[in-house]
Amino acid sequence: MNTDTPIIEIQNLSRRYGNLDAVNGLSLTVRVGKCYGFFGRNGAGKTTTIKCLLNLLRPDSGTARVFGLDPQKDEVAVKSRLAYVPDMVAFYPWMTVRDTLEYLASFRKHWNSDIENDLISRFHLDPKQKSSHLSKGQRTQLALIGAICPEPELLVLDEPTSGLDPIVRREFIETVIGAYQSGDPGRRTVFVSTHLISEFEGLIDEFTIIEQGRNLLTMEADAARDRFRKIRARFSQPPAQLDLPGALNVKQSGREVEILADGNSEQLLEKLKARSPEELRCESLSLEEIFITSSLLKQSA
Amino acid sequence: MSVSFMLLQIDFKSGKPVYLQLVDQIRYAAASGGVRTGEPLPSIRPLAEELRVNRNTVAKAYAELESQGVIETIPGKGCFLKESNSPFTKSARQKILTKEIDEAVVAAHHLQVDRDAFLALVKERLDNFERKVKEKSNND
Repeated sequence: MNTDTPIIEIQNLSRRYGNLDAVNGLSLTVRVGKCYGFFGRNGAGKTTTIKCLLNLLRPDSGTARVFGLDPQKDEVAVKSRLAYVPDMVAFYPWMTVRDTLEYLASFRKHWNSDIENDLISRFHLDPKQKSSHLSKGQRTQLALIGAICPEPELLVLDEPTSGLDPIVRREFIETVIGAYQSGDPGRRTVFVSTHLISEFEGLIDEFTIIEQGRNLLTMEADAARDRFRKIRARFSQPPAQLDLPGALNVKQSGREVEILADGNSEQLLEKLKARSPEELRCESLSLEEIFITSSLLKQSA
Repeated sequence: MSVSFMLLQIDFKSGKPVYLQLVDQIRYAAASGGVRTGEPLPSIRPLAEELRVNRNTVAKAYAELESQGVIETIPGKGCFLKESNSPFTKSARQKILTKEIDEAVVAAHHLQVDRDAFLALVKERLDNFERKVKEKSNND
């Protein structure tokens, strides 16, 4: 494979359910070795998109390519090189933890038993426990072991940590960083859809925010944190007629003002300084705040 | 002993790229004696896990530190702090420092810290730094 071939390339993808446009002209590109965040509200079209990548759904129009291949035509070639952890994981209830992993391994050309044993003990799973007796967190851990042991080139995670307790979530993310990313450095790609953005913040290289099936914002995480900033100013008197062109949002409460800047924090700071504030602070938005703010982008666009 | 994980803190609200935050903090630790010549830095994997940041981010920070001549990688052994005689020429060092000072000057401007207060603060921080270095060497 050419090293420049994107791991995932989606162009103008659309998928409807009856009259509902679940995905409506979505495009995005995930390059090799990146951790790509896919953020959106419930019903924004995240899972539908992921299912098109895995040939669990067929697109109505547009294309989805994984490793440069068409998941419909080369389903086995695509699936043998990736692993998928959905938000709801189900296993055969009569199988034990060990049986389940052996069953999953039987579909794979490659299986790293050292990682399997490491993670079983790290997660304190009992190999003899029946999968029907596992908690939701333990089932997710089992699914993660099953996804990482084949050492796939691409890990697709769909709301992997929703409904888990904070300790299990933390371990999940550490495992993705440690056990998964550290093998074959720089080549392991992660595509993760999540609501729990703050927990994945340090992991995300680049992200797309999807809304109503469309791409609302695609940026590199560092560039986004540089672009979106929150300015807080306090004045000695409630300021009248603050003229702040280009501010995404201005909130005023008495003597205090909070402004969201979209790439123009320098100009806004100058404007505010001309009014001699008692206090002036500027900080970057976190990815979660950027996600919440992104609905303002649509209104101003 | 390696440099403590606790010296390193990521602040996503600073607006500074995450790998540069690591570069700056490790350089600071090196300059202030938090990590010494020949001491190992944490390996990439445990550090990435601990900070819960992308493994590639830590790798990028270490690559940057290596290109700046702050650390060296010994294959199979890890990353170590290099001798403190900086490989940069004096003018190159001043150029790096000028950039950092400019950032502080802009921040001071925004925070309405005037020239005298700024210079007093610089002096106070220099004193503080020198005191720390001295304490470190006294403890040896």
